[in-house]
Amino acid sequence: MFTRKKSLWLFLLPGLAGLMLFYVVPFFGGIYFSMTDGTIHNQFIWFANYQRVWANEVFLLGLKNSLELSLLCAPSIFVLSFLLAVMLRSLAEKSLPFRNVLLMPYLVPSAALLVVWTLLFDFGGVVNRLVVAMGGQRVLWLESGMLRVPIVLLYIWKNVGFSVVIFSAALQAVPVEYYEFARLEGAGVIRQETRITLPLILPTAFVVFVLAWVNAFKIFKEVYFIGGAYPHDTVYTLQHFMNNQFAKLDYQLVTTAAYSFAVIVFVLFGAMYLGKGVRSSAN
Amino acid sequence: MQISASHRKKRHFRLGRGVSYALLTLVSAVVLLPLVLTFLYSFFPVSEMNAYLKTRGNYDESRWMDVLLSPSIVSLRQYYSLLIEKPVYLQLFANSVLYTAAILLGQALVIPSLAYALSRFKFPGRDMLFFFVLMLMVLPFQVTMAPSVLTMRALGLMNTPWAVILPMIFSPFYVFLIRQFMVGIPSEMVEAGMMDGAGTVRSFFHVILPISRPIVGAAAALSFADCWNMVEQPLIYLSNFREKMPLSVMFNQLSLDESGVAFAGAALYILPSLLIYSYFQEDILLGVQLSDMK
Repeated sequence: MFTRKKSLWLFLLPGLAGLMLFYVVPFFGGIYFSMTDGTIHNQFIWFANYQRVWANEVFLLGLKNSLELSLLCAPSIFVLSFLLAVMLRSLAEKSLPFRNVLLMPYLVPSAALLVVWTLLFDFGGVVNRLVVAMGGQRVLWLESGMLRVPIVLLYIWKNVGFSVVIFSAALQAVPVEYYEFARLEGAGVIRQETRITLPLILPTAFVVFVLAWVNAFKIFKEVYFIGGAYPHDTVYTLQHFMNNQFAKLDYQLVTTAAYSFAVIVFVLFGAMYLGKGVRSSAN
Repeated sequence: MQISASHRKKRHFRLGRGVSYALLTLVSAVVLLPLVLTFLYSFFPVSEMNAYLKTRGNYDESRWMDVLLSPSIVSLRQYYSLLIEKPVYLQLFANSVLYTAAILLGQALVIPSLAYALSRFKFPGRDMLFFFVLMLMVLPFQVTMAPSVLTMRALGLMNTPWAVILPMIFSPFYVFLIRQFMVGIPSEMVEAGMMDGAGTVRSFFHVILPISRPIVGAAAALSFADCWNMVEQPLIYLSNFREKMPLSVMFNQLSLDESGVAFAGAALYILPSLLIYSYFQEDILLGVQLSDMK
């Protein structure tokens, strides 16, 4: 660890300046901005903009959809990636090709997938063939409320691999002896995973969950590609609201909406972080 | 008694592996299917693809879309049309390349050194600064976007490519990723260098950076994916500047207008990311494994 070195500034300054200029300063400056009225008089109006945003039905719709979509995506990715990581571990070194395949979509641009996706989920497409083959009724995937399904699946398809990688890394750090001992004691596979694996990888699981959730909040691309700038009510996200208000040049409303959302995010993660702290100090 | 019990356990274990193998094969097939189809369909003749895509959106319960698996004739016509006949695609592709290159270059200059400062130096306010980085990482784009538009307007950068490039260079996530790796490097390795008279700069370039290669590679690949796939930033920062949009934003529009060549467009668009991926995949696996993800 270096202390009191002048060269610190050499390494710190470029990045710090950028972070300050593009993130930190505007973040605090924006708080003031969100409390002004945006006219030439630039009056300070306290929380009037916030009242305006929270009374705005489109904002509430976008917020609700973004939260709901993220609650569909993040837990699915969390559970799925844990299961996949456990399966990968059981194959030891033979799992490498599977790992590579699972992570591949993370790098693939989702725009390029759109055409294939609309083919697969077409009313006469492969997915509906499967549904009918399993005895179901054809579904209008690309319209109305069902649009959420292809969007969430595209999101999971693309993002599950990264969580698998993080989980796999954590699983490899769990000593094999623990499982051998548990097996001698007569613990089954499910008991082993819930009683040994889960508690030991809890900190990593927390990171996976936070990252998955944070990223799922941002879900927009997938909706924008499939549904456009004004999609169906069930998939109209917060980002749609921001973009459309932005196009109307209502910067105050955009900024205020942003901070309203920031407060929600901070409260959620603050609560999760505290919960995590309490749990790990109890152990 | 004991032998048979352990025998049963072993068989159980092997059964578990078999199930894992089967399930993972299935999942991998599902994951690969859209990519394989994209590349396969890119070799279909334009007219055949056009006709096929016209059968979409048909609500007649008695009819299915065909499952096309082999073209009437293998054709490079789609690629020819995109690369030679219509310059729009290549223009947008070039835009994407420029954005991605500029952002990655900027990140290479800024992010490893910032991570180094945050991990190997002790200075007042360091923990505070790292906390800010964490907070910024957790904040969704919708939140950081609005205030940074204010900065962009103040600097007169709105509707210029710089508005897209500059904020992405200082992406907090990659600072976090690389910092977590550098924190874990044993200090003996740095101290050995200092014994030989290496200062902070020398230890950065000759000790820390070489050791951090996997995570830097991983960050580069992941950041490439971000840039190559970005939609929100250009939509906001370049709203009035259509011809400077990257392919990621315009691809949708393009494939609606020219659906017969959409698959070749998609295949060409996916190809660089697959190349980057195959080059960096070990780094991603190793880098994340060695980082302290807590």
